[in-house]
Parts: sequence; C-alpha cells; structure tokens
Amino acid sequence: MKRKQGWLFFIIFLLTFSIYLLINFPLQLGLDLKGGSQLTLQLVKEEGKVTKEELEAVNSVLDKRVNNLGVAESNLQTLGRDQLILELPGEQNPLSASRILGKTALLEFRTQKVSTSSELKNLQLQRFKISELIDRFNNGDKRNDLYSLVIDNLSEIENDIKYTSNKKELFDKLVDTKKYISNEIVNLFNKTDLSGKDLINAGRRQEQTNSNWEVSLSFSNEGGQKFADITKSIAGTDQLLSIVLDGESISEASVGSQFINTGITGGLATISGNFSAENARELEVQLKGGSLPLPIEIVETNTIGPLLGSKNIVKSLYAAICGLIFVGIFMIFNYRILGFVSVISLIFYGFFNLALYSLIPVTLTLPGIAGLILSIGMAVDANVLIFERIREELINGNTLIRSIDSGFLRANSSIIDGHITTFVSCLVLFILGTNFVKGFAATLGIGVVISLFTSLNCSKTILRFLTTYQSLRQKNLYLSRSNPL
Amino acid sequence: MNSFNFNLIKNKNKVFGFSSVLILLSLIGILYSSFYTSFKKPINLGMDFIGGNELRIERVCEEQCEQISPDLVIEKLRKLSDKKNNLNNIKLQIQNNNSLISIRTPYLTIEESNNLIANVDKIVGPLKYETKNSRIIGPKLGKKLLTNCATSLLVSLFAISLYISIRFDRKYAFFALIALFHDLFIVFGIFSWLGVLLSIEVNSLFAVSLLTIAGYSVNDTVVIFDRIRENLKQDQENYNKTIQISINESFRRTLFTSITTLIPLLTLIIFGSYSLFWFSISLSLGILIGSYSSILLAPSFLIKD
Repeated sequence: MKRKQGWLFFIIFLLTFSIYLLINFPLQLGLDLKGGSQLTLQLVKEEGKVTKEELEAVNSVLDKRVNNLGVAESNLQTLGRDQLILELPGEQNPLSASRILGKTALLEFRTQKVSTSSELKNLQLQRFKISELIDRFNNGDKRNDLYSLVIDNLSEIENDIKYTSNKKELFDKLVDTKKYISNEIVNLFNKTDLSGKDLINAGRRQEQTNSNWEVSLSFSNEGGQKFADITKSIAGTDQLLSIVLDGESISEASVGSQFINTGITGGLATISGNFSAENARELEVQLKGGSLPLPIEIVETNTIGPLLGSKNIVKSLYAAICGLIFVGIFMIFNYRILGFVSVISLIFYGFFNLALYSLIPVTLTLPGIAGLILSIGMAVDANVLIFERIREELINGNTLIRSIDSGFLRANSSIIDGHITTFVSCLVLFILGTNFVKGFAATLGIGVVISLFTSLNCSKTILRFLTTYQSLRQKNLYLSRSNPL
Repeated sequence: MNSFNFNLIKNKNKVFGFSSVLILLSLIGILYSSFYTSFKKPINLGMDFIGGNELRIERVCEEQCEQISPDLVIEKLRKLSDKKNNLNNIKLQIQNNNSLISIRTPYLTIEESNNLIANVDKIVGPLKYETKNSRIIGPKLGKKLLTNCATSLLVSLFAISLYISIRFDRKYAFFALIALFHDLFIVFGIFSWLGVLLSIEVNSLFAVSLLTIAGYSVNDTVVIFDRIRENLKQDQENYNKTIQISINESFRRTLFTSITTLIPLLTLIIFGSYSLFWFSISLSLGILIGSYSSILLAPSFLIKD
C-alpha cells in the first residue's frame, strides 16, 4: 500500500511541476501560429558536398547580416548538411531580407588595363542605355508602343556590342544583355589583391549635392596600405579604379594626379554609384557581414499573416478540446468508472505533454498540434486495451482487484508493441523529415512515450486509489449498461 | 457472452474478394493517373514536390464581398503584368462568399510574387494583409522533398518490418506486412482517384500520413496476432475455431480504438486549419482500412482450409 501511495504522490508532484513549468516557461509558437516569414536557404556548390566548415562559415556571415538588418527575434539555424532556415517573426515582407541574404557580396577592387579607354567609354554608354530600358520596364511605362520601342533600342545595343541574348522574354533579354555588358566592363580591368576581406567597417550617408546615397568603406591598416599602393599606381593616368561587387562593376572612378606620390592614404574610400537609400543600406549590411564563402539560393519562402496565425491557434484549440471532450464522453459511456479514470489520466497526459514541450523546448506548429491531437487517440488506445481485459476478467467472474491487476498485466505487451512501432515511424520522420514534418514527428513521438507512462502507471494508480473506497468497489460500476453482470 | 460473433471461417473468401476489389480499383486509379492525365504521375503531386507559388489572402469587404469571376480577375491580371509568362498555368479560386482569394502559379521569385499580390489588390482590393498566407517553393527543393519523403517511407517500413520479424515468427510477420501494404496501397489509390477526379494534390503531409497509417496498422495487427497466439497456446486442437474466437474477442477493442482515434481526427477535419484538412482525411481513411485489414484480412491468411 505504501508503494502505491508513493506513486500517487509522485504523479501529483509531476502534475504540479508541469503546471509550474507551463506558467513560467510559456510555449514557443511556430510561425504558422504567430505569423511571420520563413526562408529556407540552400548552399550551392558546383562540385562535391558542402562541408561542415563551409556551412558554419556561411551561417556566421548570414548571422551578422541578419543582426545588422535589425529584425527583432529573428532566428537563423542550420538544417541538415546544406541548408539554413531563417525565421523573421512579424515581418510581413521577406523581400528585403531575401535581397540582403541572397547576394554573395564579394567585393573586389580592380585597375583598368592600359589603353582600353575608348572601349570602356562605349560599354559604359551601352550600360547606361540598357539600364534606362530596364527602368522603363519596371516603372510600368504603359504606352502601347513600349514594346516595339524597347525592341528597337535593344537591337541597336546588340549591334554595337555584338551579342544577342538567347533568352525568350523581353525583360529577361534586357537583364541578360546588361549582365553581359557588365561582364565585358569587368574584363577590361585587372585584379588586385585588395578585397572585401580588408574592410573593417562600412557605412552610408547621403551625398551633399543630390539625394543619392553613398557607401563609405574603412580599411584595416594593411588594407589601407594596399589601397594607397593601388591608387598610386594609376594616379594621373587615364586608367580607372573599378569597384566590383559579385562580378559586376558598380563604380568606376579616376584617381587624380595629386595622389601620384603617395596614393590615397587614410584607409577610407566611398562608393558613389547612384544608390537609393535602401540599396545603400543593403550594401552596407552585406559589406559589414563579409562575403559568403559559397553562394546561396532561396529555395522556399513561407509567409503567414499574424491574423491567420491567431486564427490557426483558435481552430486548433477547438479541435483539441472537442476531441478530448468527445473521447471522454465515449469512454465514460462505455467503461463508466474506468472511463472516468481514463479521462483523468488523459488530462494528466495533456499537461505532461505541454510541460515537456516547454522544457525541451519544442516549437509548436500546426503539424505539431495535429501530432498531439492524434496522439490523444493513441493514448486512449492503451486504455481501451487494458479496460477490455479488465472487463473480460470481470465477466469471467474474477474479483475486482484481481481483474484490474491482471488486466494491466496482460495488456502490457500489446501496448508496448504498439507504442514501439509508432515510435519507430516518428523517429525516422524526425531524422529524415523536413522542418515541417519534424514538428509532427516530435509531438507524436513525445506523446507515445508519455502515453506509456500515463496509461500503464497513472491509470493504474488512480484506479487503485479509487478502489480503496468501499462504495466504489461495486462491479457494476465498471461495466457498461449493455453488459451488466 | 460476447455480442460479436463473426464467422470468419465461412466468410474468409468474401474478405479476400473485398480486398481484391479494393486493390484492383486502386491499381486502376494509379494506372489511369499515370497514363491518361495531364500530370502523368501515379498520384497528383502538389507544389511541395514540384515547386510553385501558393497564395491565400482575404479581401476587406463591408458586410458582403462583391462577386467577381475568377476568369475576369486572371484576364485583368494579364493586362497589368509585364511578364506574361508568369501567368501561364495560373489557377485562381474565390471562396467563402467571395471573401477569400487563393492563387496557384508555377514558381515565382519573392519579388514577382509581391508584384502579383499588388496587382490582385488593384483588381479586387483592398486586401487584408494580416491574413496573407504565401508559400514559394523552388523546383530544386521540390525534388529534394520528394526523394526525402520516399526515403523516409522506405526506411521506416524497413524498420517496422525488421521489428515485426524479430517480434513474431516469419509467418505472422509476413501476413502483418501484407496487411500493412494492403492499407497503404488502398489509401494511395484513393488519393490517385481524388487527383484524377477532383484534382486533389498530395503534399509532404500526405507522406507523413502514410507513415502514421503504417505504424497504426501494424500496431492493430500485432494486438490481434498477440491474442491469437495467446489463445493458441491454450487450445491447439481447434486451430481455425481458436482464431475465429480470438478475432471476435478483439473486435470490441479494435472498434473502440478506431472510434477514439477517429473522433480527434474528425474534430480536426471540422474545426482544424485548412492545411490539415486532407491530411486528416487521409489519416481517417487509413485508420478505417487499417482496422478492417487487421481484424478481418490478416487473420484470414492464418485460417487453414
């Protein structure tokens, strides 16, 4: 008897502890319940597999960029071997995040090859023309002759640079041609050993003369020296200095003859490439974070409005509570006192589950809730198995206490088998599944483990406690109306 | 004493016949779907697996939303858009008394998707942006998800088979697995038909539901086989009779378990979020078929002529 009471106290202690946990450590809700954006980023590597070090390196660069982005409570974590997941709660528009994260942001400084001035000037002119066409397209110029006008202009440019894009859509053609021109421009420049790695900081400010923005760079000591050497080598000539970002020249500038002796010293430089406020901020964040060791691609974007999220919570809550109530009615109707016991242990089951979610912690998502609700069914299953056995024993004429004991004993192996098969499925899903699926596997798996405890132990303890009262020991209270003794 | 008295020995062939018909129908569905549909796959794969863009958003309306035909909206969208190719294969539905707009397109970038929403806003706006639900899945990820789901299914079926064959002798394990594949095949077949007839698509949650059904079905069969083994130990002379008694003894339990699992699923179907709707349907179907196969089909294999 003492041992049994020990269990009762233990269960009551667990229940109190669970409620304490739930009050002090609220559940973490997934984005589908609180609203927000989730981006899945895939590392792209041409050959071979992405190594752990590369994943870590990309992670740390992106982490810095996300921090500089200034979104509260954003969360970046690795997924599998070659993916990262970024969660932006509340942020309705993932566009700016995607632009900042998606770029490699490899910054290079290049010097112009000797006597290529006329070539460069022509390419710069063509680039200006094509940028204008693209702008016109983007700004939604709705004139009817826009198409023929753009096509005429494009073929002029194509003739000049002797390149025809093989893209099908007009807009894609424009973008592709611009890319070709930028590439040609970069080819007119020689690489130097100065790059984004030599930066210690970046900033932005509005230009004094007009509304454009510029991005300022500060070099490390070594970088400053390199920059001085490079500028010295082309000062006073017609060779330009180009700043190349991800293979595209974003600014070409001449170095005045006053720097011929020392080069530009002081370790500071500015890029003024007609930036808008937003573009300048994006570049600043990217340069501060450093360049990505591997390019990344955004392969999945999920956006859920906050109102939809709270609707999802309400809906799931309804489903869970109604499920619990109807199952409870069904059980009490069929098993009477036993059913009542199962309802109590189901309530315990619910609390233990939620407490474990906040302890581990498990982030609750919609599939996760589905797993929890489904696991209610599985937890009841164990009770049904036991109660059927008890019922049989009772009908066979055994005493109540003996029937209860042997019912629990004989249902044991079936219950454990059933739970193990479900647990195996959950384990596989958790290891191999995607983020979305993991939530379901986690809650169902935890549910299965807890159900083993509540169905085998809680139900038994409560039942034993109830049967200590003489008035609750009548056999008829344990059989349904359709099966009286 | 027991209110359930099903004569399995007599009706064994009817059970086999019924299952064969279900299997055949599923097979026809899968074959039809593979060869005579636009997607030419055994099942209609959703955007989780082929990539694409899905968008749901509510309109702001006073009292009642104005009626507008989806075709008209698409036509207007085409007029507003510069990149016409993005509007090929667009599917647009207007639901819930004209208040909910859902759009499916092939893969779009975030920027293109935003432009699309802005254009929709111009046509049927204003829109309630707090209710927006948008998913964009790149085609590369889709392929990855598909192989991922397939491996999860195979690995976990293998793990379950392994467990069963350790737990039971070979004969029992074999029949339990046949019952399991029977269940999965029929649920798959039903969704093939749903894909053909109602263009219902399957996503990664469908694969999850198949896995859960596998666990559930095996669990059910194990309980009944356990009972049969237990009873056979006591009475080996009336082999067939003992099996029949065992299933009748387990009948209540199987029925009740199905009901207590179906109740929460039904509440999910009725109250739950739309993204869990087909998931709950497929789980419910799996539980119905799984209960049938474990109480009637699997023991039928054990009965000797």
